[in-house]
Amino acid sequence: MGACKLRTPLYEVISAGSGRVLKAGLQPAQRVSISDIAGQWQDAVKDRLELLIRLEEGWDGYSAFPVSFDNAMFAFRMLESICRSDTPAPQIVPGPSGDLQIEWHTHQGDIELWVRGPNNVHAWCKVSETQTEEEIDLTTDFSIVSQWVQEVVEPTIAVAAAA
Amino acid sequence: MTDALARPKHLPDFMAPPLNEVVIGVQFAAPQGYQQIRAGEVWSLFKQRYPQVQELPPLPPAFETFGLPHQHSPMLPQFSLRTGGTHDRFWFLRPDGDELIQFQQDRLMHNWRKVGDGSNGYPRYESMIGEFKNELTELQSYMNSLVPQALSINQCEISYINHIRFDREDDNGFSAWLRFLNFSKDSPDDFVMNFREVIKDSSARPMGRLYVEAALGYLPSGNEIIALSLTVKGAPLGTDIESALEFLSNGREVIVQRFAELTTDQAHKKWERVN
Repeated sequence: MGACKLRTPLYEVISAGSGRVLKAGLQPAQRVSISDIAGQWQDAVKDRLELLIRLEEGWDGYSAFPVSFDNAMFAFRMLESICRSDTPAPQIVPGPSGDLQIEWHTHQGDIELWVRGPNNVHAWCKVSETQTEEEIDLTTDFSIVSQWVQEVVEPTIAVAAAA
Repeated sequence: MTDALARPKHLPDFMAPPLNEVVIGVQFAAPQGYQQIRAGEVWSLFKQRYPQVQELPPLPPAFETFGLPHQHSPMLPQFSLRTGGTHDRFWFLRPDGDELIQFQQDRLMHNWRKVGDGSNGYPRYESMIGEFKNELTELQSYMNSLVPQALSINQCEISYINHIRFDREDDNGFSAWLRFLNFSKDSPDDFVMNFREVIKDSSARPMGRLYVEAALGYLPSGNEIIALSLTVKGAPLGTDIESALEFLSNGREVIVQRFAELTTDQAHKKWERVN
C-alpha cells in the first residue's frame, strides 16, 4: 500500500507530497502551456528577470543587490494575473535592495508597479487624457492593475494591428 | 482564529476515508543569517522525533495571484542561472516513515502518509496542525537566535491526497465514485484531469485557490485506484505563524467540504460517512 504507479512514464509529482503519488499520461501542464500559444511578454520578461537575478552585488557602483529570486518569481506570477497573452512586455528596472519596478509608458498613460517583495506591491497609474493619478498598495489581487493595463497599454495593440 | 484543536462540527466526517497522504506547509522569506551549512542545527531541533534524514532538490517558490482569468501558467519559469548557492530540501523522517518534516531555507512542511500495509491510521488534522505549530515555533525561535527576526510567511499550502480503490468489473464506472466523472459506456484506459477554483473571503475577495486533480493509477499489487488530490494554496492575511495556521485551517475546511461534494453518496457509504 502507499506507492502509486501510473500507466505512462510521463508524470509529475503532485504538490509537496512525499512524491509517491504520480500523475499519468499527457500532462495538462503540457497541453495548456500559455507560452505555446503566445510567448510574447512571457519570453521577454523571463529573459529580463533572468538577467536581473544574475546581477553582481554592487551593480550600481555602490552596494545594490541583484533582484531576488523570490521577487522575480513573484513578479512573473503577478504579470500573469495582469497581462493578456498579447500585452506588450513592460520595462523592468532593478532596485538596490533586491526589489524591482515594472513599468509601461504609452501615449495613454503610465503604470508603475514597485515589487518590494512577494505579496508587497506599490502600484501607480496616470492616465494622460484625464491627468488622473491613482496609487494603491496590493498583495495578491491585481484586478485593478489589469484594468489599468487595458486602459493604458492595450490600445497600443489595436494601433499596431491597424497600422 | 479558528480553533485548531477542535474539529468543526459542521464538517463532513468519515470513519474510513480513502486518505493516503496529507501535507501542510508554509513558505517564508529566507531568514537572515541562515545558510545551508546550518541545516544540521535545524535537524537537531527535530532529531529526537525525526531521526532519519534524506536530501532532495528544493521546491521552487510558489505564489498565488489574482486578476485576469485563464492567464495562469502551470509552472513558473525555470531560470537557468541564479546568483548564490541553492539550498537542498531535507526530509526529517520518523523511524516508520509515516510522518516527516520537509525543510528548506524558505519552506517548512509536515507530511503524514500511509506506509507499509496501509494500516497506520490518519492522526487527524487537529493533531497534525498542533505538531506543525510547535515545529514552526521551534524553527522561528532558532532563526531568531541567529538574527532577531520572526518568520515572514508569504504562502501556505495544504493537500489531501486520496487513493480510491475500485474494481472495473464490479463498480459502476468512475462516476460511482466521483460526481464529475462520467465517461458514458466505455471507460478509458487512463485519465488525468484537474481544475481549480478561486476561494473568496466573506467580502468576496480572493484569498486562495483550490486545486483538484483526479488521475488513474495502480498499486504495486496491480489494483487500480483513482488518485484524487485536493490542494489549497494562498497567502495568509498576515505574515506571522497564527495567520498561517488560520489560513491552513480554513483551507482544510474547504478541502473537506469540497471532497464531500465531489464524491458520491455511494462512495460515502463505503467510507463510512458519519456527518
